[in-house]
Amino acid sequence: MIRTLTRSAAIGPVVADPYPWPYDGTVKADRVALICIDWQADFCGPGGYVDRMGYDIELTRAGLPGTARMLAHARATGMLVIHTREGHSPDLSDLPANKRWRSAQIGAEIGAPGPQGRILVRGEPGWKIVPEVAPLSGEVLIDKPGKGAFYATQLDLVLRTKHITHIVLTGITTDVCVHTTMREANDRGYECLILSDCTGATELGNHTAALRMVTMQGGVFGCVATSAGVIAATVAANPTGEGHDI
Amino acid sequence: MTSDPLTAGPITVPADPGPFHCSPAHTALLIIDMQRDFVEPGGFGETLGNDVSLLRSVIPPLQRVRAASRAAGMAIIHTREGHRADLTDCPPAKLNRGEPSLRIGDAGPKGRILIRGEYGHDIIDELTPRTGEVVIDKPGKGAFYATELHELLQVAGITSLVVTGVTTEVCVHTTVREANDRGYECLVLSDCVGSYFPEFQQAGLAMIAAQGGIFGWVAPSAVYLDALSALCPAAVGAATGEEWS
Repeated sequence: MIRTLTRSAAIGPVVADPYPWPYDGTVKADRVALICIDWQADFCGPGGYVDRMGYDIELTRAGLPGTARMLAHARATGMLVIHTREGHSPDLSDLPANKRWRSAQIGAEIGAPGPQGRILVRGEPGWKIVPEVAPLSGEVLIDKPGKGAFYATQLDLVLRTKHITHIVLTGITTDVCVHTTMREANDRGYECLILSDCTGATELGNHTAALRMVTMQGGVFGCVATSAGVIAATVAANPTGEGHDI
Repeated sequence: MTSDPLTAGPITVPADPGPFHCSPAHTALLIIDMQRDFVEPGGFGETLGNDVSLLRSVIPPLQRVRAASRAAGMAIIHTREGHRADLTDCPPAKLNRGEPSLRIGDAGPKGRILIRGEYGHDIIDELTPRTGEVVIDKPGKGAFYATELHELLQVAGITSLVVTGVTTEVCVHTTVREANDRGYECLVLSDCVGSYFPEFQQAGLAMIAAQGGIFGWVAPSAVYLDALSALCPAAVGAATGEEWS
């Protein structure tokens, strides 16, 4: 028999910067969402959008092993797993003119043919999530037209319907889509934790600056920790019973 | 002549990563959180150990920018971060996080901290909103969440924002990110936004213009004022008058 951590698992306090996370001590796993942001081939796959812009995709791929570990942990403990994808409808009717113009200026126009299909268009190969952190059947997928996962999506409705109060963030890029989403979540009252080993940016300096910004002023947007820190701080709420045997 | 509004604005501001075009009739000046508690000596920000002189340096250029923008006919919008007196709009995670020595709602040096109607919550005297200027009260860092800002901009036909205020990496950045996702063109004036932390001032501005301007454009106020003066000489006089007033 293997005893697994089950839906009675509790998380916290996690060793985090600048305070032991969460602010309210511990949280039941079923009140926590693991949000995996934009692990798409366009951002971290060879020949994708970011690769075509000339950035080193090893930097955006750096958080994949940690995120894979966190996904396994979240699934075992009963966290809500959510994946986001940035992209636009094939007719580009949800693409703001300035976003299209800017992408064209840097030679990777959204909607134009790319090495992995039309760039950032829903359904194209480059838009899909890379296999290392692929969603399982039944997990929540949020398609977003912007950098933030809350704007013009059903994310907030899903979180409130599932009684989620705490959010753990992985994904790319740290300073753009992950940070925008963390800021949106923070303003909505969710207690947020960003994982330094499960995120990455197109420039290392932007990654480290974005993480440090979170920690200032007593944790202005929440906390920073590692996947190992979360896993170590997860315990069965009642280790002598209640667990499900498989 | 092209009629594309993205390339044919009546004013062009040399900016990073490229020229910013906008039409004053469709542009608003956004002045974020220039509140006594954040900016003044003896306020909440300073009691937390922050050096408010880093924020106060934005006041003179921002006064000039407001005067010139007004003269050019642009909408002026101020924001204030704060909460209702009963704190019903303050999420527990914001109230209790990090066990601060002073919490939102506590008695502070300039009244209850971040509570609407208190002296410290209001905008500094140097930038007191004038007749016709809009004040948006926001409960979060972003000026769009749980406010009427987006609706107000839509009704006014505003498509571009010139963004100023404090602090660069927190409320200014959050608001610019929200605006960008909603399709607004944002120009951030580098000497009219301020941070308690010089490294974040620099990183925050760099992030806006990165990747071809992923969140918008960045320029110093002097080049913005030059661009406005080419369109509207009165704007220069207004800016100069403000400087000496």
